[in-house]
Amino acid sequence: MRIGKVVGTVTLNRSHPSLTGACLRLAVPMTLDELASHAEPAAEELVVYDELGAGHGSLIAISEGGEAAQPFYPDMKPVDAYNGAILDSVDVLERRS
Amino acid sequence: MQIGTVVGTAISTIKHRSLEGQKLLVVQLLASDGRSPDGEPVLAVDGLGAGRGDRVVLTSDGKAMQELLKNQATPVRWSVIGIPD
Repeated sequence: MRIGKVVGTVTLNRSHPSLTGACLRLAVPMTLDELASHAEPAAEELVVYDELGAGHGSLIAISEGGEAAQPFYPDMKPVDAYNGAILDSVDVLERRS
Repeated sequence: MQIGTVVGTAISTIKHRSLEGQKLLVVQLLASDGRSPDGEPVLAVDGLGAGRGDRVVLTSDGKAMQELLKNQATPVRWSVIGIPD
């Protein structure tokens, strides 16, 4: 799981039937430097399936790949990014180079 | 399996039920030179008691996590499986 910041919401007009009623957020994965300096993330955003109700600006744990669809077991959903946790606090060291 | 350095900890109240009672570490994976960072830091479940600054061995085996957390529906991938001397 990577750490990402929620920057928006995605709403689907038409979707795969298994995604009906899904909550989707837009989140940007964060680097160590961005986490340490509380900077805004600069990477490309991901669409993340959210069952926990993450709000704008929250830090979340983004599960990716095969594990992202695992919470729906035994159902199959075409999901490859899933919000596994809303992070209350992330405490990291400044990097020493 | 990959080697990383524990750079911090994360605390979460609202999370997938498989994560309840688990300690979450923020781990920076390292490139083959053993020093430079490899990508963004990851969140890993830790049952071994690794601390900040420790070097750890992580596994990215999702199936192993399902057994470890006794939950077939867990979205977790990374787990600390060793602390090298």
